[in-house]
Amino acid sequence: MTRYLAVFPSLNQVALVKRALLREGVYVDMTRTPQCLSSTGCSFALRCSKGELGLLRKACVAAHIRLGGIFEEDAGTDGPVYRLAHPSHPADGREAGS
Amino acid sequence: MIYLDNAATSWPKPPAVVQAVCRALEAAGGNPGRTNHRLSFDAAQMIQECRENLARLFHIANPLRICFTANATEALNLALKGLLSPGNHVICSSMEHNSVWRPLVRLEEGGVEVSMATPGPCGTVSAAAVAAQLRNNTRLIAIVHASNVSGEITPVAEIGSLAHERGIPLLLDAAQTAGAIPINVETMHIDLLAFPGHKSLLGPQGTGGLYVSETVRLLALKEGGTGSDSSNQHQPDVLPDRFESGTLNTPGIAGLNQAALYLLGRGVEEVQQYEEQLTQRLVTGLAETGNVTVYGPTPGKTRAAVVSFNIGGMDSVRAAEELERRWDIACRPGLHCAPLAHRTLGTCKTGAVRFSPGPFTTTEEIDIAVRAVSELAEIG
Repeated sequence: MTRYLAVFPSLNQVALVKRALLREGVYVDMTRTPQCLSSTGCSFALRCSKGELGLLRKACVAAHIRLGGIFEEDAGTDGPVYRLAHPSHPADGREAGS
Repeated sequence: MIYLDNAATSWPKPPAVVQAVCRALEAAGGNPGRTNHRLSFDAAQMIQECRENLARLFHIANPLRICFTANATEALNLALKGLLSPGNHVICSSMEHNSVWRPLVRLEEGGVEVSMATPGPCGTVSAAAVAAQLRNNTRLIAIVHASNVSGEITPVAEIGSLAHERGIPLLLDAAQTAGAIPINVETMHIDLLAFPGHKSLLGPQGTGGLYVSETVRLLALKEGGTGSDSSNQHQPDVLPDRFESGTLNTPGIAGLNQAALYLLGRGVEEVQQYEEQLTQRLVTGLAETGNVTVYGPTPGKTRAAVVSFNIGGMDSVRAAEELERRWDIACRPGLHCAPLAHRTLGTCKTGAVRFSPGPFTTTEEIDIAVRAVSELAEIG
């Protein structure tokens, strides 16, 4: 099954959105962004299903968080394969805390 | 022991605070924001939970605008030195603690202009007193919420309105009030809120924070690893990462989180009412004691839970020593790291003895303390 990786600039943002989703009854995994997707060095991500992306985006908008991108994650023969699904958050152009 | 030194650090702590610190050390030892395992993520979640609970206490819309520091002093240094540059003008009050005054003196030596608003006849630093110091280049108003010497409470909302109208950021030093007096950054127009975790917030020592509003941009005073944007040679722009280089005090923040939950459950308003009742009992009792001079607001007037006094010509350090030796009362003598405030009160040479009750102080303890001072005043 295809999973999605929502990449954030900061772990603190990941923690905020994860807790916001938990309050909605949705559990998503935190993970470190695979190095091949992390253009800025270290970053963190939330792994979720397609159906959970809508809530995740909503939580980002509420907290003025601009995502680093959303990637599709499929199991490949030599490990996970990633494809950019959304380059950045579509609904908000303002970076939290900038 | 009768502990009347809560203005220095609160004690005892709620049991949940102690348990949380122990639990963090025993079972949740991961480094938040650095690695990719459960312990690390659990720590990050707990830290975020603490930010959210502090945000609820101070009515902060975005918890990510709260940056953890080691104490209020570090937060104040970050706010002052991160904002002000040569040619800027800043207004403070003559009741400031050294944690504001010393950074300002250093900044003044580097070309920042500093003005001081002084209390009026009623002892309060009013918005009018602050307004009288405004200049075209005023970049910041930095004010203490409650004096750690006199207990005088500053009318923050009025000063905040003044600052807001002029587009000048307001920095509030909430060292004596965060957790004991309600603070609302929105209605009080607070742009920068510096607070300790270990005083009225009832958390462990080594914790504190700075709230930075969306409209203020500060230079970072320390650079280093943040676990984010690592390939960038400069600090990340995003908050709180920008100001949280280095590993956070996870066990301390675990305790602070439980302390915040305790206060949210009990209610800061309830704590304020309880401490006010104790403080009025203390002020009234001391004011009625012969040969005792009490500083700050007169009995009946609202004040923070801080009461400074002197017994005749007795050295304040000796008085505190006698109070501990004879009655097992813990209090603080001297200048309380606030020589400006003592100069304003006329006690710069003598210092004063300070009693500061907390949310777990009892009326019986207050009565014993008043009797002790009365007996000490008679013994001389």
